[in-house]
Amino acid sequence: MSCKKFKIFLSAYIDQEITKDEQEKLLEHLKTCSACTRELKYLKQMKRIFLLKEKKEPQEFFETRLFARIRSKRERLAWRAYLPVFKKSILAVLIFFLLVVGLLNYRNFLYQRPAEIISDLLIDTEIEENFEEELLEIYYGPLG
Amino acid sequence: MEEDFELLAKFRKGDQHAFELLVRKYKMTVFNTIYSIIGNAQEADDIAQEVFLRVYTKAGSFKGKSSFSTWLYRITVNKCLDELKKRNNRIISYETEFNEEEKLKLKDVLASREKDSTQELIRKELQDIIQKAMNSLPEKYRIILTLKEIEGLSYNEISQVMKISVGKVKIWLFRARQKLKEKLAFLYPQGE
Repeated sequence: MSCKKFKIFLSAYIDQEITKDEQEKLLEHLKTCSACTRELKYLKQMKRIFLLKEKKEPQEFFETRLFARIRSKRERLAWRAYLPVFKKSILAVLIFFLLVVGLLNYRNFLYQRPAEIISDLLIDTEIEENFEEELLEIYYGPLG
Repeated sequence: MEEDFELLAKFRKGDQHAFELLVRKYKMTVFNTIYSIIGNAQEADDIAQEVFLRVYTKAGSFKGKSSFSTWLYRITVNKCLDELKKRNNRIISYETEFNEEEKLKLKDVLASREKDSTQELIRKELQDIIQKAMNSLPEKYRIILTLKEIEGLSYNEISQVMKISVGKVKIWLFRARQKLKEKLAFLYPQGE
């Protein structure tokens, strides 16, 4: 097995994420390989450096600022909660308006159509005028 | 872990105090993870706020398949990746080179005994030196080293947070450590 493979094992070894079989092979290899022994020393130092790294604090009033943002977001969300209801109301008004307009037109259609038909049939002014002229000719003889 | 689930359940039922307790418990973790990945305290603070706002609005979508902390780390890492993507369009240069004084300090810390190196002043200086080394790494290595070395997550947890296989976690950590070694080559004179 190559040293590179053992170096990958070493990285997992210091994290205690190595199988028992891999660990046995690695420890056997370390007995004879000075390069890998040096690598192990480096990895241990690296771990130590990170362990010494102090945790940093967030900036002042982190929670106060966060909760203020949450409150403002909640207010916005609360307003948004009414948005679907508002949209539905607008839609309902629009549908109602269209229905009313439609009904009125339909009513006009129902009541006006027969009148139009009758007027079309009976009130033809040209026929009526001709008829009147014919009657006058019968009574008074040919006109003009 | 059980405690987190309980707090989350209470929060979902409308208990705001339960959410406050979750923030108090995890604010340091979230902030330090972001700071280690992003490398700037002011930006880390802003992103940490964004993370908790997301938790607040998305708590209902958490299915409980992983632990709460794993879910929180995933949101945190994703927010960092979003920020790093935005940065691709901006020129941001953080100092990544060590000066002679910093090199000496780091050597001293490693040479000193554990109790000496825990002095507050040294620890604070060391923090900046380590951050400088981290800033020089590619982002995926910065993330994986942060999750392992700063947050102490297991390979399995890292694989869940980063959505990669455990095998890949092993290889990426190995490569990240090699890159860091190159950066800290002054600590290891040739032949030593």
